[in-house]
Amino acid sequence: MTTTDSVRNLTLKIKRYDPERDEKPHWEEYEVEVDGHDRVLDVIQKVKWYQDETLGLRRSCAHGVCGSDAMRINGINGLACKVLVKNLQSSLLTVEPILGLPVIKDLIVDMKPFFDHYKSVMPFLINDDPPPTTERLQSPAERARFDDSTKCILCACCTTACPPFWGDQKYVGPAAIVNAHRFIFDSRDRGAAERLDILNDAQGVWRCRTVFNCTSACPRDIKVTQAIQEVKRAMLTGDIGFDPST
Amino acid sequence: MSQSLRTPQVYRRGFRDRLVEGLRYGGGVGQWSWLIHRLTGLGILLFLVIHIVDTFFVVAFPALYDHTVAIYSGIISGLHPTVNGYYWPLRWVFRLGELGLIASVLFHALNGIRIVLFDFWPKAVNHQKTLFNAVQIVFWVIMILVTIRVVSPLFSAPEHVPVLKTASAPAMVPSR
Amino acid sequence: MAKRSGAGRRVKPAGGFELLAWYWMRISGLLLVVLALGHLFITHIIYNVESINYAFVASRWAAPKTGFFWRIWDLSMISLAMFHGFNGLRQVLDEYVINPSRRVVVHTLIWSFMFALLGIGSYAILMFQKDEKYINQWELEHGRVANSSPSTSPASSVLVDSTR
Ligand code: SF4
Ligand code: SF4
Ligand code: FES
Repeated sequence: MTTTDSVRNLTLKIKRYDPERDEKPHWEEYEVEVDGHDRVLDVIQKVKWYQDETLGLRRSCAHGVCGSDAMRINGINGLACKVLVKNLQSSLLTVEPILGLPVIKDLIVDMKPFFDHYKSVMPFLINDDPPPTTERLQSPAERARFDDSTKCILCACCTTACPPFWGDQKYVGPAAIVNAHRFIFDSRDRGAAERLDILNDAQGVWRCRTVFNCTSACPRDIKVTQAIQEVKRAMLTGDIGFDPST
Repeated sequence: MSQSLRTPQVYRRGFRDRLVEGLRYGGGVGQWSWLIHRLTGLGILLFLVIHIVDTFFVVAFPALYDHTVAIYSGIISGLHPTVNGYYWPLRWVFRLGELGLIASVLFHALNGIRIVLFDFWPKAVNHQKTLFNAVQIVFWVIMILVTIRVVSPLFSAPEHVPVLKTASAPAMVPSR
Repeated sequence: MAKRSGAGRRVKPAGGFELLAWYWMRISGLLLVVLALGHLFITHIIYNVESINYAFVASRWAAPKTGFFWRIWDLSMISLAMFHGFNGLRQVLDEYVINPSRRVVVHTLIWSFMFALLGIGSYAILMFQKDEKYINQWELEHGRVANSSPSTSPASSVLVDSTR
Protein backbone atom coordinates (compact mmCIF):
# COMPACT_ATOMS: atom_id res chain seq x y z
CA MET A 1 0.00 0.00 0.00
CA THR A 2 2.70 2.41 0.96
CA THR A 3 4.42 2.93 -2.31
CA THR A 4 6.73 5.90 -2.34
CA ASP A 5 4.11 8.39 -3.45
CA SER A 6 1.09 7.24 -1.53
CA VAL A 7 -0.26 9.88 0.77
CA ARG A 8 -1.68 8.73 4.06
CA ASN A 9 -2.68 10.04 7.43
CA LEU A 10 -0.48 9.52 10.38
CA THR A 11 -1.06 10.18 14.05
CA LEU A 12 1.98 11.81 15.55
CA LYS A 13 2.21 11.48 19.31
CA ILE A 14 4.77 13.75 20.91
CA LYS A 15 5.86 13.94 24.51
CA ARG A 16 5.64 17.62 25.30
CA TYR A 17 7.10 19.56 28.18
CA ASP A 18 6.79 23.28 28.64
CA PRO A 19 9.16 24.41 31.37
CA GLU A 20 7.03 27.43 32.15
CA ARG A 21 3.76 25.61 32.61
CA ASP A 22 4.23 21.90 33.18
CA GLU A 23 5.28 19.91 36.19
CA LYS A 24 5.76 16.79 34.10
CA PRO A 25 5.84 15.93 30.41
CA HIS A 26 2.58 14.86 28.78
CA TRP A 27 1.56 13.37 25.44
CA GLU A 28 -0.04 15.36 22.65
CA GLU A 29 -1.39 14.03 19.38
CA TYR A 30 -1.45 15.54 15.91
CA GLU A 31 -2.94 14.33 12.64
CA VAL A 32 -0.49 14.75 9.77
CA GLU A 33 -0.66 13.91 6.11
CA VAL A 34 2.52 12.17 5.02
CA ASP A 35 3.87 10.71 1.84
CA GLY A 36 6.43 8.01 1.22
CA HIS A 37 9.35 10.40 0.98
CA ASP A 38 8.80 11.89 4.40
CA ARG A 39 11.23 11.34 7.17
CA VAL A 40 10.23 11.65 10.79
CA LEU A 41 11.86 15.07 10.86
CA ASP A 42 9.60 16.24 8.00
CA VAL A 43 6.53 15.08 9.88
CA ILE A 44 7.56 16.95 13.01
CA GLN A 45 8.34 20.06 10.96
CA LYS A 46 4.89 19.93 9.38
CA VAL A 47 3.41 20.05 12.85
CA LYS A 48 5.63 22.91 13.89
CA TRP A 49 5.08 24.93 10.73
CA TYR A 50 1.35 24.41 10.20
CA GLN A 51 -0.22 23.24 13.44
CA ASP A 52 1.64 24.18 16.60
CA GLU A 53 4.52 26.58 16.46
CA THR A 54 5.31 26.15 20.15
CA LEU A 55 6.77 22.71 19.53
CA GLY A 56 10.46 22.72 20.48
CA LEU A 57 13.02 20.59 18.72
CA ARG A 58 16.63 20.79 17.71
CA ARG A 59 17.83 20.11 14.18
CA SER A 60 20.31 21.55 11.81
CA CYS A 61 21.66 19.71 8.78
CA ALA A 62 18.64 17.45 8.18
CA HIS A 63 20.98 14.99 6.53
CA GLY A 64 22.35 12.85 9.32
CA VAL A 65 25.59 14.75 9.65
CA CYS A 66 25.33 17.14 12.57
CA GLY A 67 23.80 14.77 15.10
CA SER A 68 21.50 17.35 16.65
CA ASP A 69 18.09 15.70 16.21
CA ALA A 70 18.47 12.49 18.18
CA MET A 71 15.15 11.41 19.67
CA ARG A 72 13.25 8.36 20.69
CA ILE A 73 11.16 7.30 17.71
CA ASN A 74 8.61 4.55 18.31
CA GLY A 75 10.57 3.52 21.37
CA ILE A 76 14.02 3.41 19.79
CA ASN A 77 16.65 6.12 19.60
CA GLY A 78 17.48 7.49 16.17
CA LEU A 79 18.01 10.63 14.14
CA ALA A 80 14.67 12.02 13.03
CA CYS A 81 16.25 13.04 9.74
CA LYS A 82 17.35 9.48 8.97
CA VAL A 83 14.21 7.48 9.72
CA LEU A 84 11.80 7.17 6.80
CA VAL A 85 8.15 7.16 7.73
CA LYS A 86 7.36 4.50 5.13
CA ASN A 87 9.58 2.09 7.04
CA LEU A 88 7.45 2.42 10.14
CA GLN A 89 4.80 -0.26 10.27
CA SER A 90 2.05 1.37 12.30
CA SER A 91 0.02 4.48 11.54
CA LEU A 92 0.98 5.82 14.94
CA LEU A 93 4.29 7.57 15.30
CA THR A 94 5.49 8.31 18.81
CA VAL A 95 8.32 10.73 19.40
CA GLU A 96 9.87 11.61 22.74
CA PRO A 97 13.12 13.11 23.99
CA ILE A 98 16.10 10.82 24.50
CA LEU A 99 16.17 9.22 27.91
CA GLY A 100 18.45 10.10 30.77
CA LEU A 101 19.29 13.74 30.09
CA PRO A 102 17.34 16.64 31.64
CA VAL A 103 14.53 17.88 29.38
CA ILE A 104 14.71 21.59 28.60
CA LYS A 105 11.62 21.80 26.41
CA ASP A 106 9.65 19.22 24.42
CA LEU A 107 12.24 17.28 22.42
CA ILE A 108 15.20 19.39 23.48
CA VAL A 109 17.42 17.92 26.17
CA ASP A 110 20.36 19.40 28.02
CA MET A 111 23.42 17.86 26.36
CA LYS A 112 25.93 19.29 28.83
CA PRO A 113 26.31 16.10 30.94
CA PHE A 114 26.84 14.17 27.72
CA PHE A 115 29.55 16.51 26.44
CA ASP A 116 31.18 16.62 29.87
CA HIS A 117 31.64 12.86 29.66
CA TYR A 118 32.98 13.27 26.16
CA LYS A 119 35.52 15.84 27.32
CA SER A 120 36.57 13.71 30.26
CA VAL A 121 38.30 11.16 28.01
CA MET A 122 40.53 13.84 26.39
CA PRO A 123 39.26 13.46 22.81
CA PHE A 124 42.25 15.05 21.11
CA LEU A 125 45.62 13.89 19.90
CA ILE A 126 48.18 13.74 22.68
CA ASN A 127 51.76 13.56 21.57
CA ASP A 128 54.53 15.60 23.15
CA ASP A 129 57.30 13.97 21.15
CA PRO A 130 59.31 16.48 19.15
CA PRO A 131 57.55 16.81 15.80
CA PRO A 132 59.32 15.02 12.97
CA THR A 133 60.51 17.07 10.03
CA THR A 134 57.89 15.39 7.85
CA GLU A 135 54.38 14.22 8.74
CA ARG A 136 53.65 11.75 11.54
CA LEU A 137 53.30 8.77 9.27
CA GLN A 138 50.67 6.10 9.66
CA SER A 139 50.16 2.98 7.57
CA PRO A 140 46.72 2.20 6.09
CA ALA A 141 46.45 -0.74 8.49
CA GLU A 142 47.18 1.49 11.47
CA ARG A 143 44.56 3.94 10.26
CA ALA A 144 42.02 1.18 9.77
CA ARG A 145 42.45 0.09 13.38
CA PHE A 146 40.27 2.94 14.67
CA ASP A 147 38.38 3.82 11.50
CA ASP A 148 35.02 2.74 12.85
CA SER A 149 35.14 5.04 15.86
CA THR A 150 36.07 8.11 13.78
CA LYS A 151 32.57 8.08 12.32
CA CYS A 152 30.91 9.28 15.53
CA ILE A 153 28.84 12.47 15.22
CA LEU A 154 28.14 12.82 18.96
CA CYS A 155 24.41 12.52 18.62
CA ALA A 156 23.98 10.76 22.00
CA CYS A 157 21.69 8.09 20.55
CA CYS A 158 23.91 5.40 22.06
CA THR A 159 24.49 6.84 25.52
CA THR A 160 20.81 7.57 26.06
CA ALA A 161 19.88 4.06 24.90
CA CYS A 162 22.10 2.46 27.52
CA PRO A 163 20.32 0.93 30.54
CA PRO A 164 23.19 1.60 32.98
CA PHE A 165 23.10 5.25 31.88
CA TRP A 166 19.35 5.47 32.49
CA GLY A 167 20.03 4.47 36.05
CA ASP A 168 23.12 6.54 36.74
CA GLN A 169 23.96 9.52 34.55
CA LYS A 170 27.46 9.59 36.01
CA TYR A 171 28.33 6.58 33.85
CA VAL A 172 30.67 7.95 31.18
CA GLY A 173 28.56 6.25 28.50
CA PRO A 174 29.25 4.53 25.18
CA ALA A 175 29.79 7.70 23.13
CA ALA A 176 32.65 8.86 25.32
CA ILE A 177 34.21 5.39 25.22
CA VAL A 178 33.94 5.30 21.42
CA ASN A 179 35.76 8.62 21.25
CA ALA A 180 38.40 7.39 23.67
CA HIS A 181 38.78 4.32 21.46
CA ARG A 182 39.34 6.68 18.53
CA PHE A 183 42.56 7.95 20.15
CA ILE A 184 43.66 4.98 22.27
CA PHE A 185 44.19 2.87 19.16
CA ASP A 186 45.68 5.68 17.07
CA SER A 187 49.34 4.83 16.49
CA ARG A 188 50.27 8.55 16.53
CA ASP A 189 48.80 9.11 19.95
CA ARG A 190 50.65 8.76 23.25
CA GLY A 191 47.79 9.26 25.70
CA ALA A 192 46.42 5.72 25.79
CA ALA A 193 47.62 5.08 29.35
CA GLU A 194 45.92 8.18 30.70
CA ARG A 195 42.66 7.51 28.88
CA LEU A 196 42.59 3.92 30.06
CA ASP A 197 43.22 5.15 33.60
CA ILE A 198 40.30 7.57 33.32
CA LEU A 199 37.94 4.90 32.02
CA ASN A 200 39.09 2.37 34.60
CA ASP A 201 36.90 3.47 37.48
CA ALA A 202 33.44 3.04 38.91
CA GLN A 203 31.92 5.37 36.29
CA GLY A 204 34.00 3.96 33.45
CA VAL A 205 33.87 1.04 31.03
CA TRP A 206 33.11 -1.52 33.74
CA ARG A 207 29.60 -0.11 33.95
CA CYS A 208 28.90 -1.52 30.50
CA ARG A 209 26.80 -4.69 30.71
CA THR A 210 27.02 -5.57 27.01
CA VAL A 211 23.35 -4.86 26.40
CA PHE A 212 23.97 -3.82 22.76
CA ASN A 213 21.30 -1.10 22.87
CA CYS A 214 23.99 1.39 21.90
CA THR A 215 25.09 -0.60 18.86
CA SER A 216 21.58 -0.94 17.49
CA ALA A 217 20.81 2.74 18.14
CA CYS A 218 23.89 4.23 16.48
CA PRO A 219 22.81 6.04 13.28
CA ARG A 220 26.39 5.78 11.99
CA ASP A 221 26.39 2.00 12.35
CA ILE A 222 29.42 2.11 14.60
CA LYS A 223 30.05 -1.18 16.35
CA VAL A 224 29.84 0.56 19.69
CA THR A 225 29.82 -2.49 21.96
CA GLN A 226 32.75 -3.97 20.07
CA ALA A 227 34.73 -0.76 20.60
CA ILE A 228 33.93 -0.85 24.31
CA GLN A 229 34.97 -4.48 24.57
CA GLU A 230 38.28 -3.65 22.87
CA VAL A 231 38.90 -0.94 25.41
CA LYS A 232 38.11 -3.37 28.24
CA ARG A 233 40.51 -5.94 26.86
CA ALA A 234 43.22 -3.30 26.43
CA MET A 235 42.82 -2.50 30.11
CA LEU A 236 43.02 -6.11 31.12
CA THR A 237 46.05 -6.98 29.02
CA GLY A 238 47.80 -3.64 28.58
CA ASP A 239 48.00 -4.44 24.89
CA ILE A 240 46.82 -1.84 22.38
CA GLY A 241 48.45 -3.50 19.42
CA PHE A 242 51.49 -1.24 19.22
CA ASP A 243 54.06 0.21 21.56
CA PRO A 244 53.11 3.79 22.36
CA SER A 245 56.55 4.58 23.73
CA THR A 246 58.34 4.34 20.39
CA MET B 1 -5.39 33.48 29.21
CA SER B 2 -4.22 34.60 32.59
CA GLN B 3 -2.19 31.57 33.38
CA SER B 4 0.60 32.32 35.78
CA LEU B 5 3.95 31.19 34.48
CA ARG B 6 6.58 29.66 36.70
CA THR B 7 10.30 30.04 36.45
CA PRO B 8 11.44 27.81 33.62
CA GLN B 9 13.20 24.73 34.80
CA VAL B 10 14.42 21.51 33.27
CA TYR B 11 12.57 18.28 33.84
CA ARG B 12 14.50 15.50 35.56
CA ARG B 13 13.07 12.06 36.03
CA GLY B 14 12.39 10.80 39.52
CA PHE B 15 13.56 7.52 41.00
CA ARG B 16 10.55 5.56 39.79
CA ASP B 17 11.01 6.78 36.23
CA ARG B 18 14.68 5.89 36.29
CA LEU B 19 13.66 2.38 37.24
CA VAL B 20 10.82 1.75 34.78
CA GLU B 21 11.03 4.27 31.91
CA GLY B 22 13.54 2.10 30.12
CA LEU B 23 11.14 -0.83 29.94
CA ARG B 24 9.37 1.00 27.13
CA TYR B 25 12.60 1.18 25.16
CA GLY B 26 12.56 -1.21 22.21
CA GLY B 27 15.97 -2.62 22.89
CA GLY B 28 15.62 -6.11 21.46
CA VAL B 29 17.22 -9.31 22.73
CA GLY B 30 20.23 -7.62 24.25
CA GLN B 31 18.07 -5.57 26.57
CA TRP B 32 15.75 -8.44 27.48
CA SER B 33 18.57 -10.84 28.20
CA TRP B 34 20.15 -8.15 30.39
CA LEU B 35 16.91 -7.68 32.28
CA ILE B 36 16.26 -11.39 32.77
CA HIS B 37 19.87 -11.96 33.77
CA ARG B 38 19.54 -9.29 36.42
CA LEU B 39 16.17 -10.47 37.75
CA THR B 40 17.21 -14.14 37.88
CA GLY B 41 20.42 -13.11 39.64
CA LEU B 42 18.51 -11.23 42.33
CA GLY B 43 16.04 -14.11 42.68
CA ILE B 44 18.80 -16.67 43.10
CA LEU B 45 20.48 -14.48 45.71
CA LEU B 46 17.25 -14.29 47.69
CA PHE B 47 16.92 -18.06 47.60
CA LEU B 48 20.54 -18.47 48.59
CA VAL B 49 20.01 -16.44 51.74
CA ILE B 50 17.13 -18.70 52.77
CA HIS B 51 19.02 -21.82 51.79
CA ILE B 52 22.08 -20.97 53.86
CA VAL B 53 19.97 -20.26 56.90
CA ASP B 54 18.04 -23.54 56.60
CA THR B 55 21.25 -25.50 56.05
CA PHE B 56 22.61 -23.93 59.21
CA PHE B 57 19.84 -25.79 61.06
CA VAL B 58 21.53 -29.06 60.09
CA VAL B 59 24.29 -28.31 62.54
CA ALA B 60 22.40 -26.30 65.08
CA PHE B 61 18.98 -27.96 65.28
CA PRO B 62 18.72 -31.25 63.35
CA ALA B 63 15.05 -31.73 64.20
CA LEU B 64 14.17 -28.21 63.11
CA TYR B 65 15.94 -28.95 59.83
CA ASP B 66 13.83 -32.03 59.22
CA HIS B 67 10.66 -30.14 60.04
CA THR B 68 11.71 -27.36 57.68
CA VAL B 69 12.54 -29.53 54.71
CA ALA B 70 9.35 -31.51 55.24
CA ILE B 71 7.50 -28.31 54.33
CA TYR B 72 9.00 -28.64 50.86
CA SER B 73 6.90 -31.77 50.41
CA GLY B 74 3.83 -30.02 51.76
CA ILE B 75 4.06 -31.47 55.26
CA ILE B 76 3.73 -29.31 58.32
CA SER B 77 5.07 -31.14 61.34
CA GLY B 78 6.21 -30.38 64.84
CA LEU B 79 3.56 -27.73 65.41
CA HIS B 80 0.16 -28.00 67.04
CA PRO B 81 -1.81 -31.12 65.96
CA THR B 82 -4.55 -29.00 64.44
CA VAL B 83 -2.03 -27.44 62.09
CA ASN B 84 0.12 -30.45 61.36
CA GLY B 85 -0.70 -32.37 58.25
CA TYR B 86 -0.14 -32.78 54.57
CA TYR B 87 -1.22 -29.90 52.36
CA TRP B 88 -1.00 -30.70 48.68
CA PRO B 89 -1.27 -27.08 47.42
CA LEU B 90 1.74 -26.26 49.59
CA ARG B 91 3.62 -29.08 47.96
CA TRP B 92 2.69 -27.83 44.48
CA VAL B 93 3.77 -24.32 45.32
CA PHE B 94 7.18 -25.48 46.46
CA ARG B 95 7.58 -27.75 43.44
CA LEU B 96 6.82 -24.88 41.07
CA GLY B 97 9.18 -22.69 43.05
CA GLU B 98 11.82 -25.39 42.64
CA LEU B 99 11.25 -25.34 38.88
CA GLY B 100 11.57 -21.56 38.92
CA LEU B 101 14.81 -21.81 40.84
CA ILE B 102 16.32 -24.34 38.46
CA ALA B 103 15.19 -22.26 35.49
CA SER B 104 16.73 -19.13 36.99
CA VAL B 105 20.08 -20.75 37.71
CA LEU B 106 20.15 -22.38 34.29
CA PHE B 107 19.35 -19.19 32.42
CA HIS B 108 21.78 -17.16 34.51
CA ALA B 109 24.51 -19.72 33.84
CA LEU B 110 23.90 -19.98 30.10
CA ASN B 111 23.55 -16.25 29.57
CA GLY B 112 26.57 -15.75 31.80
CA ILE B 113 28.58 -17.91 29.43
CA ARG B 114 27.29 -15.74 26.58
CA ILE B 115 28.48 -12.60 28.36
CA VAL B 116 31.91 -14.12 29.07
CA LEU B 117 32.18 -14.98 25.38
CA PHE B 118 31.65 -11.31 24.50
CA ASP B 119 34.47 -10.42 26.84
CA PHE B 120 37.09 -12.95 25.87
CA TRP B 121 36.25 -13.99 22.32
CA PRO B 122 36.40 -10.77 20.25
CA LYS B 123 34.27 -12.08 17.40
CA ALA B 124 31.36 -12.97 19.68
CA VAL B 125 29.96 -9.42 19.68
CA ASN B 126 29.06 -9.84 16.01
CA HIS B 127 26.88 -12.82 16.82
CA GLN B 128 25.03 -11.66 19.89
CA LYS B 129 21.59 -12.55 18.57
CA THR B 130 22.71 -15.99 17.40
CA LEU B 131 24.28 -16.58 20.77
CA PHE B 132 21.08 -15.56 22.51
CA ASN B 133 19.13 -18.00 20.34
CA ALA B 134 21.59 -20.72 21.28
CA VAL B 135 21.10 -19.87 24.95
CA GLN B 136 17.34 -20.15 24.49
CA ILE B 137 17.50 -23.48 22.68
CA VAL B 138 19.78 -25.10 25.24
CA PHE B 139 17.68 -23.62 28.01
CA TRP B 140 14.39 -25.03 26.75
CA VAL B 141 15.77 -28.46 25.91
CA ILE B 142 17.15 -28.87 29.41
CA MET B 143 14.11 -27.30 31.05
CA ILE B 144 11.68 -29.68 29.39
CA LEU B 145 13.60 -32.67 30.69
CA VAL B 146 13.94 -31.09 34.12
CA THR B 147 10.23 -30.28 34.26
CA ILE B 148 9.29 -33.89 33.61
CA ARG B 149 11.63 -35.07 36.34
CA VAL B 150 10.63 -32.44 38.89
CA VAL B 151 6.89 -32.45 38.36
CA SER B 152 6.29 -36.19 38.07
CA PRO B 153 6.66 -36.99 41.82
CA LEU B 154 3.69 -34.71 42.42
CA PHE B 155 1.42 -37.44 41.17
CA SER B 156 2.33 -39.82 43.97
CA ALA B 157 2.28 -39.35 47.72
CA PRO B 158 5.26 -37.63 49.34
CA GLU B 159 7.88 -39.98 50.73
CA HIS B 160 7.74 -38.51 54.18
CA VAL B 161 4.10 -39.22 54.83
CA PRO B 162 4.90 -41.44 57.85
CA VAL B 163 5.74 -38.24 59.67
CA LEU B 164 2.04 -37.57 59.90
CA LYS B 165 1.34 -40.46 62.21
CA THR B 166 3.67 -39.15 64.84
CA ALA B 167 3.80 -35.45 64.36
CA SER B 168 1.60 -34.64 67.27
CA ALA B 169 4.02 -33.19 69.76
CA PRO B 170 4.98 -29.57 69.34
CA ALA B 171 8.53 -30.53 70.19
CA MET B 172 11.63 -29.77 68.16
CA VAL B 173 12.67 -33.40 68.31
CA PRO B 174 9.89 -35.50 66.87
CA SER B 175 8.64 -37.90 69.47
CA ARG B 176 5.77 -40.25 69.77
CA MET C 1 51.93 22.30 31.90
CA ALA C 2 52.89 18.95 33.28
CA LYS C 3 54.19 16.55 30.76
CA ARG C 4 51.19 14.67 29.50
CA SER C 5 52.82 11.68 27.99
CA GLY C 6 56.18 10.36 27.02
CA ALA C 7 58.29 7.38 26.38
CA GLY C 8 58.07 4.33 28.56
CA ARG C 9 54.68 4.94 30.15
CA ARG C 10 52.66 1.91 31.03
CA VAL C 11 49.50 1.38 29.02
CA LYS C 12 47.82 -0.83 31.55
CA PRO C 13 45.97 0.75 34.45
CA ALA C 14 47.19 -0.52 37.80
CA GLY C 15 44.43 -2.95 38.70
CA GLY C 16 41.70 -0.99 40.33
CA PHE C 17 38.73 -2.33 42.28
CA GLU C 18 36.23 -2.19 39.44
CA LEU C 19 38.56 -4.00 37.05
CA LEU C 20 39.16 -6.76 39.58
CA ALA C 21 35.46 -6.95 40.42
CA TRP C 22 34.62 -7.29 36.74
CA TYR C 23 37.23 -10.01 36.29
CA TRP C 24 36.08 -11.75 39.44
CA MET C 25 32.49 -11.92 38.20
CA ARG C 26 33.68 -13.75 35.07
CA ILE C 27 35.96 -16.24 36.82
CA SER C 28 33.64 -17.03 39.72
CA GLY C 29 30.70 -17.19 37.33
CA LEU C 30 32.36 -19.84 35.19
CA LEU C 31 33.31 -21.92 38.24
CA LEU C 32 29.79 -21.59 39.59
CA VAL C 33 28.35 -22.89 36.32
CA VAL C 34 29.99 -26.21 37.20
CA LEU C 35 29.54 -26.13 40.97
CA ALA C 36 25.99 -24.78 41.21
CA LEU C 37 24.53 -26.64 38.24
CA GLY C 38 26.25 -29.80 39.53
CA HIS C 39 24.75 -29.24 42.96
CA LEU C 40 21.29 -28.70 41.49
CA PHE C 41 21.69 -31.78 39.32
CA ILE C 42 22.49 -33.96 42.32
CA THR C 43 19.86 -32.60 44.68
CA HIS C 44 16.99 -32.10 42.24
CA ILE C 45 17.54 -34.49 39.37
CA ILE C 46 19.46 -37.52 40.65
CA TYR C 47 17.58 -37.42 43.94
CA ASN C 48 14.08 -36.28 44.56
CA VAL C 49 14.38 -33.09 46.58
CA GLU C 50 11.68 -34.37 48.95
CA SER C 51 13.93 -37.19 50.08
CA ILE C 52 16.49 -34.74 51.45
CA ASN C 53 16.63 -34.65 55.21
CA TYR C 54 19.15 -34.72 58.02
CA ALA C 55 20.19 -38.30 57.27
CA PHE C 56 20.78 -37.39 53.61
CA VAL C 57 23.00 -34.45 54.50
CA ALA C 58 24.86 -36.64 56.96
CA SER C 59 25.39 -39.31 54.33
CA ARG C 60 27.14 -36.76 52.16
CA TRP C 61 29.15 -34.61 54.56
CA ALA C 62 30.03 -37.36 57.06
CA ALA C 63 30.83 -40.13 54.62
CA PRO C 64 34.26 -41.57 55.50
CA LYS C 65 35.83 -41.33 52.06
CA THR C 66 33.83 -38.82 50.05
CA GLY C 67 32.67 -36.52 52.84
CA PHE C 68 35.75 -34.36 52.56
CA PHE C 69 35.15 -33.92 48.83
CA TRP C 70 31.53 -32.80 49.27
CA ARG C 71 32.47 -30.41 52.05
CA ILE C 72 35.12 -28.80 49.83
CA TRP C 73 32.61 -28.62 46.99
CA ASP C 74 29.98 -26.97 49.14
CA LEU C 75 32.45 -24.63 50.78
CA SER C 76 33.84 -23.38 47.46
CA MET C 77 30.34 -23.08 46.09
CA ILE C 78 29.05 -21.01 48.98
CA SER C 79 32.07 -18.68 49.04
CA LEU C 80 32.06 -18.09 45.29
CA ALA C 81 28.29 -17.65 45.25
CA MET C 82 28.31 -15.19 48.14
CA PHE C 83 30.99 -12.94 46.66
CA HIS C 84 29.50 -13.27 43.17
CA GLY C 85 25.92 -12.69 44.27
CA PHE C 86 26.46 -9.84 46.68
CA ASN C 87 28.87 -8.09 44.33
CA GLY C 88 26.15 -8.41 41.69
CA LEU C 89 23.67 -6.87 44.10
CA ARG C 90 26.12 -4.06 44.79
CA GLN C 91 26.51 -3.39 41.07
CA VAL C 92 22.76 -3.28 40.57
CA LEU C 93 22.19 -0.98 43.54
CA ASP C 94 25.06 1.30 42.51
CA GLU C 95 23.06 2.11 39.40
CA TYR C 96 20.20 3.45 41.46
CA VAL C 97 21.85 4.72 44.64
CA ILE C 98 23.89 7.63 43.36
CA ASN C 99 24.48 9.71 46.48
CA PRO C 100 28.01 8.77 47.70
CA SER C 101 27.19 8.72 51.41
CA ARG C 102 24.14 6.56 50.82
CA ARG C 103 26.30 4.29 48.73
CA VAL C 104 28.66 3.81 51.67
CA VAL C 105 25.70 2.81 53.82
CA VAL C 106 24.44 0.37 51.19
CA HIS C 107 27.86 -1.19 50.67
CA THR C 108 28.39 -1.58 54.40
CA LEU C 109 25.05 -3.32 54.78
CA ILE C 110 25.69 -5.57 51.80
CA TRP C 111 29.11 -6.73 52.91
CA SER C 112 28.24 -7.19 56.58
CA PHE C 113 25.23 -9.24 55.65
CA MET C 114 27.34 -11.28 53.26
CA PHE C 115 30.03 -12.05 55.80
CA ALA C 116 27.44 -13.03 58.38
CA LEU C 117 25.85 -15.45 55.94
CA LEU C 118 29.19 -16.78 54.79
CA GLY C 119 30.09 -17.26 58.44
CA ILE C 120 27.11 -19.38 59.39
CA GLY C 121 27.27 -21.25 56.08
CA SER C 122 30.92 -22.20 56.48
CA TYR C 123 30.32 -23.06 60.12
CA ALA C 124 27.61 -25.50 59.07
CA ILE C 125 29.79 -27.14 56.45
CA LEU C 126 32.97 -27.38 58.52
CA MET C 127 31.59 -28.16 61.97
CA PHE C 128 28.97 -30.72 60.95
CA GLN C 129 29.13 -33.90 62.98
CA LYS C 130 26.84 -36.77 62.39
CA ASP C 131 24.36 -37.36 65.19
CA GLU C 132 23.80 -41.15 65.06
CA LYS C 133 21.38 -41.08 67.96
CA TYR C 134 19.15 -38.55 66.22
CA ILE C 135 19.09 -40.52 62.98
CA ASN C 136 18.33 -43.78 64.77
CA GLN C 137 15.52 -42.19 66.69
CA TRP C 138 14.13 -40.58 63.57
CA GLU C 139 14.16 -43.86 61.69
CA LEU C 140 12.53 -45.61 64.57
CA GLU C 141 9.69 -43.15 64.49
CA HIS C 142 9.17 -42.63 60.79
CA GLY C 143 10.51 -45.77 59.26
CA ARG C 144 13.60 -45.66 57.09
CA VAL C 145 13.34 -43.27 54.25
CA ALA C 146 14.48 -45.17 51.26
CA ASN C 147 17.65 -43.36 50.37
CA SER C 148 18.90 -42.36 53.78
CA SER C 149 21.74 -44.58 54.74
CA PRO C 150 21.53 -47.34 57.27
CA SER C 151 23.43 -45.88 60.15
CA THR C 152 25.80 -48.81 60.29
CA SER C 153 27.29 -48.31 56.83
CA PRO C 154 26.92 -44.66 56.00
CA ALA C 155 29.28 -44.59 53.07
CA SER C 156 27.27 -46.89 50.90
CA SER C 157 24.51 -44.45 50.17
CA VAL C 158 26.33 -41.47 48.78
CA LEU C 159 25.56 -42.13 45.17
CA VAL C 160 23.09 -44.95 45.51
CA ASP C 161 19.58 -43.87 44.84
CA SER C 162 17.12 -46.52 45.78
CA THR C 163 14.11 -44.26 45.51
CA ARG C 164 13.62 -45.08 41.88
S1 SF4 D 1 26.69 -2.33 25.32
FE1 SF4 D 1 27.35 -1.30 27.18
S2 SF4 D 1 27.45 0.85 26.67
FE2 SF4 D 1 26.23 -0.16 25.07
S3 SF4 D 1 24.11 0.08 25.74
FE3 SF4 D 1 24.92 -1.82 26.50
S4 SF4 D 1 25.62 -1.43 28.55
FE4 SF4 D 1 25.41 0.52 27.49
S1 SF4 E 1 28.65 6.36 18.69
FE1 SF4 E 1 26.97 6.53 17.22
S2 SF4 E 1 25.16 6.82 18.51
FE2 SF4 E 1 26.91 7.23 19.78
S3 SF4 E 1 27.17 9.44 19.69
FE3 SF4 E 1 28.49 8.52 18.13
S4 SF4 E 1 27.27 8.50 16.28
FE4 SF4 E 1 25.87 8.86 17.95
S1 FES F 1 19.55 17.22 11.67
FE1 FES F 1 21.69 16.91 11.53
S2 FES F 1 21.77 14.80 11.97
FE2 FES F 1 19.64 15.05 11.82
